[in-house]
Amino acid sequence: MISALVSVAGPSAGTALRKQVAALVIESVCLGFCYLLLYPLVNALFSDQPEDALIWLGWLGLMFTAYAILRFYTQLQGFRAAVDLIRVLFGRLGQQLTALPLGWFDATSSGRVGRLLSQGVMDVSSMPAHLLRPLVSALVTPLTVVLVMFVFDWRLASAALFTAPLAWWTYRWSSHLVKTTSRRTEASAVEAATRTVEFAQSQAVLRAFGHSEAVFGKLQKAFEAQWQSGRAQVFSTALGLSAFVLVIQLALTVVLFLGAYLALGGRIDAPQLIALLVLCVRYVEPLLGAAEVAGLVKVSQNSIQRMDELLCEPGLAEPVLPAEPQNWDLCFEHVRFGYGNTKVLEGVSFTARSRSTTAIVGPSGSGKTTILRLAARFWDPADGEVQVGGVDVRSIVTSDLLAQISIVFQDVYLFDGSIAENIRQGRPDATDAEVLQAARLARVNEIAARLPEGLDSDVGEGGSKLSGGERQRVSIARAILKDTPIVLLDEATSALDPINQLAIQEALTELTRDRTVVIVAHRLETIRNADEILFLENGVIAERGSHPELISLGGRYAEFWAKRERAANWRLLRDPQVTTNASRHLVSDNGR
Amino acid sequence: MSDVKRITATVSGRIRPACAIQAVAAIMATGPYIAIAELGIMLMRGGPLDAARTWWIVALGALALLLRLCCLLLASGLTHLADNDLQLHLRQSLAKHLSRVPLGWFDDTHSGHVKKVMQDDVLAIHYLVGHAYTDRISAIVTPAAALAYLGWIEWRLVPIILLPVILTMVIYWVQFRGIGQMMSRYNKALAGVNAAAVELVQGISVVKTFGLKNRSFQRFTNASNEFADGFWEMVRGQLSSKAAADLLLSPITSIVLVLVAGLTLAANQKVAVSDILPFIVLAPALSSPFLVLTHTQSEFVQANRAARRLLDVLDLPVLPQEKNQTPRLDEPRIQFEDVSFSYDERTEAIRNINLTLHPRTVTALVGASGAGKSTLAHLLPRFWDPTEGRITLNGVDLRHIDRDHLYRAIGFVFQETQLLHATVRENIVLGRTGASEQQIIQAAQQAQIHDRISALASGYNTMVGSEGVFSGGEAQRIALARTLLADTPVVVLDEATAFADPDCAAEVQTALSTLVEKRTVLVIAHRLHTVMEADQICVMSGGQIVETGRHEDLVARKGIYAELWAVLRASEQHPELVLE
Repeated sequence: MISALVSVAGPSAGTALRKQVAALVIESVCLGFCYLLLYPLVNALFSDQPEDALIWLGWLGLMFTAYAILRFYTQLQGFRAAVDLIRVLFGRLGQQLTALPLGWFDATSSGRVGRLLSQGVMDVSSMPAHLLRPLVSALVTPLTVVLVMFVFDWRLASAALFTAPLAWWTYRWSSHLVKTTSRRTEASAVEAATRTVEFAQSQAVLRAFGHSEAVFGKLQKAFEAQWQSGRAQVFSTALGLSAFVLVIQLALTVVLFLGAYLALGGRIDAPQLIALLVLCVRYVEPLLGAAEVAGLVKVSQNSIQRMDELLCEPGLAEPVLPAEPQNWDLCFEHVRFGYGNTKVLEGVSFTARSRSTTAIVGPSGSGKTTILRLAARFWDPADGEVQVGGVDVRSIVTSDLLAQISIVFQDVYLFDGSIAENIRQGRPDATDAEVLQAARLARVNEIAARLPEGLDSDVGEGGSKLSGGERQRVSIARAILKDTPIVLLDEATSALDPINQLAIQEALTELTRDRTVVIVAHRLETIRNADEILFLENGVIAERGSHPELISLGGRYAEFWAKRERAANWRLLRDPQVTTNASRHLVSDNGR
Repeated sequence: MSDVKRITATVSGRIRPACAIQAVAAIMATGPYIAIAELGIMLMRGGPLDAARTWWIVALGALALLLRLCCLLLASGLTHLADNDLQLHLRQSLAKHLSRVPLGWFDDTHSGHVKKVMQDDVLAIHYLVGHAYTDRISAIVTPAAALAYLGWIEWRLVPIILLPVILTMVIYWVQFRGIGQMMSRYNKALAGVNAAAVELVQGISVVKTFGLKNRSFQRFTNASNEFADGFWEMVRGQLSSKAAADLLLSPITSIVLVLVAGLTLAANQKVAVSDILPFIVLAPALSSPFLVLTHTQSEFVQANRAARRLLDVLDLPVLPQEKNQTPRLDEPRIQFEDVSFSYDERTEAIRNINLTLHPRTVTALVGASGAGKSTLAHLLPRFWDPTEGRITLNGVDLRHIDRDHLYRAIGFVFQETQLLHATVRENIVLGRTGASEQQIIQAAQQAQIHDRISALASGYNTMVGSEGVFSGGEAQRIALARTLLADTPVVVLDEATAFADPDCAAEVQTALSTLVEKRTVLVIAHRLHTVMEADQICVMSGGQIVETGRHEDLVARKGIYAELWAVLRASEQHPELVLE
C-alpha cells in the first residue's frame, strides 16, 4: 500500500513519504514502550516498595515526552508532506494528461479525470496527513508490546497473542461475507440506477403513452430488488461484524479468566498480574484507531490505484531524431487500425496533395472520422504509415506536427471566456486586428453584433451560450487565425438553419483556400466539389476518383449518391390532393 | 421542521427504541474494564483471594460483553432495517412525484441528476439513520458511565481526567470558530480545481493542437497552485493547536496525567494507591466522544445537504389537473389562444400566439434557431403549460383534459428517440396496450422496420440494448412504429427526424410520410423545402408568428420567409471549396 503511494508520488515526494513512515515507526515504538513502562511501574506501585514507582514514573515521563515531541513533529511533517504531495500530484497528472494520445479521451473521461484531479488528489493526500499514523501505529505498537511482554510473562503474552490469528481469520471471513452481499447490493444498485436514468430520459414516451406501467413497473421492481438486497446485506453484515466483535471480546475475556486462574492458584504475584492486565487492556487501543479509519483508507487506496493506472498509461512516443516534412502532402500507406478488438481500417492508402480537397464519404461506421484522427495523431496506426511531406508522423515532434494542422470537428469545444479569447487561441500572439479579421472571415462578427459586449461576450461553459452552428463558426475563425497548411474537417450531419448554413459554407471556403484539405463530407455540394473522393466501406477504400468519374463508374458510390440525393430532396407531403380542400378554408381563418 | 426531520419522519418511531438499546450497550461497554479494575483492587488488598468473588467479577465482566454484543446487534439491526425501508419509501415517493411534474423539467435536468437524487442522495441519508444517532448515544453514554464509576471510586481524581477534555474544548473553541467559513472556502477552491480539470480534459484536443502554453493548461496549473496555497494557508495556522489537541486526547496522555496526579496525591495520603488503578484502566474512555463527534460532523453536513436536495425535488410543483374532461377526438381542432410562455418568468420565449390547427392539415413552424418553434410545439403535449392564454382541443382547455385521454389524442416524434431497455415488442406495444400481434406487425411494417426485426434471432422478443443494437435510424423507426400503433389523431413532429441518420433516411422518411397522412400535424421545420407543401407555414421570429400562409403566398409577399428562401437557394448553390 505504501509502495503504491510512493510510486504515485514520484521520486522526490516519495522520499519524503518514506521518511515520514520511518518517523512514524519510531513514534509507534515509543508509544509501545510507554505502555510497557506501565508494567514495572504498576508492579512497583503495588509491591512492598511503592517509592520505586516514582523512578519508573520518571522513565515513563521521559518516554512520554519523547513520544509527544515525535508525534507533534510527525503531525506537522505529515501535513507538510500532504501539501507537497498535492502540488506534486497536480503537476504529474496535468503533465500526463497532455502527454496522452488524444484518442485516450472519450465522453466519460472529463468527469472521471475531473474528480480524480480534485477530490482524488485530496483523498490521496489524506494518507500522509491523517491515515499513515493510525495505520503504522496499529501494526507497530501492539507488536512492540507483545514481543516485550514475553519477557515479563509468557503465559499472558501467549493469551494476548492467541486471539490474533483468530481475529485475522474472522476479519477475512466477515469481509468476504460482506463482499459477497455487497456485490449483490451493487448489482441491484446499478440496475436501479439504470432504470432511474431510463425513467428520467423516457418521461416523454412514458407519459405520451399514458399507461406507463411497463416502465414504472420495472423501476418499482428494481427498487424492490434493491430493498431486498439491502436487507440481505444488513443481516450478513450483522453476522460478520458480530463474529469479529465476539473474537476481539474473547481476547479480553480469555486474559481476564487466565489472570483470575493464575492469581487464584498463586502462580503469579498480585502486582505483576495487575500490571499485565493493564497492559493487555491498553495495547489493543491502536488497533481500534486503525479500524476507525478503515473506510477512509479504502477511499484513499482506490484513488491511488486510479492515479497509478492513469500515470502508467503510455504516452505517444516522441522521435529521438526528429525529421522535417518536405511539403504538405498527407499520405496514408497501408494503414491498419482498430479500437481494441474491433478493426476499423484494414489497409487504407491514399495521398491528399497540397492545395487539393479530398472528401471521405461512406456509410456510418466505415471509419471516416478515424482517418482524420490518425492524421492528427490522436492514435498511431497498428500497421502501415501516416506521412506528412514524405515523413512518417512518428518521426515528427508532436507539437511541431500539430502546429501545422487545423482541426474543425463536429462537436466543437469552446473554453469559458470571451469569443475573442477563444479565437485568439489559434495564435496567442496575434494582433487585435488579425483576430478581428479572422472573426470577419468566419462571419463571427455577425454573431458578435447581436451580443451585448460584441466579441468580448462570454461564451459560457463549453460554449453553451452559443448555438451549435455559432460554435462551429467560432472554431473556424480560430482555425483561420492559426493559418496552417493542413486542414482536417468533420462536416456536421445535423441540420442547421439556412443562415448559419450559408455562413459556415463561406467561412469554410476561407479556411480551406490553398491548403491540404481532408474532409469527412456529408453535404452533397461538398462532395461534388472535391478534387478526389474516397468512398470508404468496411474499412477499405472501395472506390476513388472525382465525382463525374465515380458516377460514370456506376458502382457503390453512384448508388450511395443516388440514395442520398433522393433523401435530401424528400418532402413531407407528396400528395397535394389530400390537403387542397382543407387548405382553402385555412386561408380564411388564419390568413388575416 | 428541519429538512432531515421531514425526510426521516416515517422511521423516527423506530430510531428511538434503537437509541435506548444502544444506550444499554454503551453502559455495558465499561463492564470488562470495571471488572479488571475491581479485580485489581481485590488483589491489592492483599491476603488470600476470595475465589467465589473473583469468579463472579470475571463472569459479570464477560456477561457484560455478551449483553453488549446482543444490544449492539439489535440496535444496529433496527436502524439499518429502518434505513432500508426508508430508502425504498423515498425512491418510490420520488418516482411518483416526478411522474407528475411538468415534462419540461426533465429537459432542463440532466438524467444524471435525477439518478444522483434518487440513488446517491437517498444513500447519503443512510449514515444518518443507520449510524449517526446511535453513534452519538454511545459517544455520550459510555464516558458518562465510566465517569460515574470513577467518581464513585475517588471523586478527587475526576477533575484530573477531565482536564484534557476541557483543554481540548478550549482549543477547538478558540481555533476552529471560523471553520464553517473556511470549509466553504475550501470547497469552493476544490470545485474550482475540478472545473479547471474538466475544462482541461474536455478541451484537450484544443490544448494539444494549439500547443502547451495554452490557456486552459495554464488555468489548471493556476487553479491547482492557488488551491494548494490556499489549503496550506488554511491549515498552517491550526496545525500546532490541532496536533496539541490530538495529543491531549490520546489515551497515553490521560494515563500519564492520572499517574502523576495520583502518585502525588497518594504521597500526601489524599488518595489510596489502589484507587489509581481504575483510573488508568478507564480514563481513556472519556476522550472517545470527541473522535466520534468530529468524524460524524461531516457526515451530518452531507446528509443535511442530501436531504435538502431530496426536498427540492419532492417540493416541485406538479402539473395541475383540475377537471377530467374527455373531448371528442375525431375531427380534432386545436387552437392556441393568446398563448405566451416564459421559462424564467422574465423573458418570454413565445408571445401572443394565436393559431388554429385544422383537422387533417399540416402546419409547419419555420424560423431561425431560438425563434420559439420548439417551445411552441412542446406546449401541445403539455411539456409545459402556457404562462398566459390557453390551448384548446375541440374547445376544451388542455389543462382540463384527463391525462390519459390527452395522450390518446396527441402523439409526438422528436429527434432523440428513446427506446426502453425492454423487448422490441414491449417497446412498440407501449403505443397501445392490448394491441394484437397483427396490429404490432402492421405498425412495424408501416414504419419500415418489420423486416429488420424479423431478421433478428429472437425477432420481436429481442432485448433492446443487450441483444439487439439498433442504429439511430432503426431506433427511430421502432419509435415510429409505436406512434403509428398509438394512432393518435394529432401528431407533433420534428422534421430533423427525417435526416438524423443519413444511412437510412429514406426508410425513416417513408415512415414519416405514412404517419402524417390524414392526421392533424404540427411540424417543427429546419429545411424549408421539406415543408414547402404544408397547408400553412408559420414563420416565427422573436417568439412571435410574423407571417402565415402557403409557400407560394409567402414567397410572393417578399417578407422574412422570402428572404430565408433566398438564403437557402444561395447556400445550395454556393461554390464552396472550389480552390482555384
